[in-house]
Amino acid sequence: MLSESARVTTAAEARFRINEPNSKPRRVKVIALDRASERVVKHLAQLAWSNASFFTASAFAGEPPGHGFSMPGWLSDLAGRTKDLLDEVNSADLVVMVATAGENAQAAALIGEACSLKRVNTTGLMLGGASATDAMLSKTLYQLRPWSLMLVIASGEDYIEDMLIALRA
Amino acid sequence: MLRKEQNDLLTQTGPGTPGGRLFRSYWLPALLSEELPENDSPPVRVKLLSERLLAFRDSDGRLGLIDEFCAHRGVSLWFGRNEEKGLRCPYHGWKYDVTGQCIDVPSEPEESGYCRKIKLKSYPMIERGGVLWAYMGPKEQVPPLPEWEFATVPDRQRFVSKRLQECNWLQAMEGGIDSSHVSFLHRGDINSDPLFKGAKGNQYNLADARPVFEVVESAGGLYIGARRNAENDQYYWRITQYVLPSFTMIAPRGGHSVHGHFWIPIDDENCWTWSFDYHPVRDLTDAETAAMREGKGIHVKCIPGTFRPVANKDNDYLIDRAAQKTGRSYSGVEGFGMQDASIQESMGPIVDRTKENLVSTDNGIIMARHRLLRSIKALMNKGEVPPGVDPVHQRVRSAAVVLPRDQAYKDAAREALMACPGVAPASV
Repeated sequence: MLSESARVTTAAEARFRINEPNSKPRRVKVIALDRASERVVKHLAQLAWSNASFFTASAFAGEPPGHGFSMPGWLSDLAGRTKDLLDEVNSADLVVMVATAGENAQAAALIGEACSLKRVNTTGLMLGGASATDAMLSKTLYQLRPWSLMLVIASGEDYIEDMLIALRA
Repeated sequence: MLRKEQNDLLTQTGPGTPGGRLFRSYWLPALLSEELPENDSPPVRVKLLSERLLAFRDSDGRLGLIDEFCAHRGVSLWFGRNEEKGLRCPYHGWKYDVTGQCIDVPSEPEESGYCRKIKLKSYPMIERGGVLWAYMGPKEQVPPLPEWEFATVPDRQRFVSKRLQECNWLQAMEGGIDSSHVSFLHRGDINSDPLFKGAKGNQYNLADARPVFEVVESAGGLYIGARRNAENDQYYWRITQYVLPSFTMIAPRGGHSVHGHFWIPIDDENCWTWSFDYHPVRDLTDAETAAMREGKGIHVKCIPGTFRPVANKDNDYLIDRAAQKTGRSYSGVEGFGMQDASIQESMGPIVDRTKENLVSTDNGIIMARHRLLRSIKALMNKGEVPPGVDPVHQRVRSAAVVLPRDQAYKDAAREALMACPGVAPASV
């Protein structure tokens, strides 16, 4: 006689698995930390997503204080509307920070602190890993690593789309 | 999650499938050398990538991997007589050499040349590192010979085993790069298994149960780094190697040997789990080898004369609920290998990935799938040689290192992640 484990792991038995949705939508907030990443995130935002929304904090990276930078306006959606970080983090299940190797990722600290406060998971995604020098990688890693509970260094921009699909964003 | 068509693409490896074409770009481990121990030893049935084959070593020591069935009436040549430089079907005496060429049809006049018109499908097979490797791809694209470090060290420095795993190759392989399961499924075994215990790194493992992961693309696949806090403002890193299509190498512990796996499809619902241990600079001790034979470390004890684990689905993996309840074993199943296999086989023959709910710590799995899909597409559309074929991609090592907090492990541990003959592995 077959054991329970042998019987229930057949392809025939797989047909009887419950076919109902087993999860609720999770909200993923994707934030570009620099101009190069912002371009990638803007492209991503044009695709159809159920639970993902897209933002940029590139103003923080490119504009030192005194050169057009304003604290209240540092986070915005892709249409340029100012967003409140804590509000956005509050309504997120996961925050993905997208950075480019060699670029300034100092906004990661602010975002990471807010996520830590609200107990929201963070993923840091660094693009350009294949072509970046060690110094470029280290510079961005230094800023991203302390605030990323998962860090991914990808060679291609197409990875983000696959990752978001995999996470049901 | 994956869409159904993506799941099919990755899990189907039979003839004519894109996933099968990917696997047919590589030299694949097919048998242990000891399965064909001497010239004219009995032939062995081999099923790989959904094709039924027969392996034999002829009178001159040449290796053959041919269609299992005689071209005459479809008899299995497993019943054949391996003699005088060929395998003879016992039914009517048709005989084949290692290339599958028929060399004798007794019922036909020799002068007629009838036998020269009969040839079974065959694949090249070579021997290296105690393993017989098969190449099942196009004849004009034979890749360079395999150069995985375990296969290049002297025999006394290596131990290789294989076991049947009764599920699709991908869910088995994904277990090998799913570093976050170690803190649960294998909890408790790190400090008791003779092939792991005693390492300083184990203390870091136990002291910090919430590792942070970094997934980095490499030329041949990816590195999966798990970092834990160490003393003096440093991190303890365990770096796993994944090389396409299905090679993984786990970070070593202390002075123990280095180890890893291949997952090779038998068909779409079964695979071979190959497990290897080796030390780059010393012989394995008798005690280590004995422990590996007993199913310790990443190896599994099999039913004598077979490659089926003693604990298997037919006996509910000999799960010990009392041990599970008291905490002696987190899973209740004994041994790392069967803890993994029991869980992976429970998903069913081919897990339906449209229903899964991945989380951020699954990025190693997501990235591996991403690279596999990208490689299949590039191979099918442009004929691009996939990652992992180049021997440079194969000359890799896993590593366990302690590094300053601001360093990228990919760079700081660059040399530790490459195979270097005569150099000890980076291990803590």
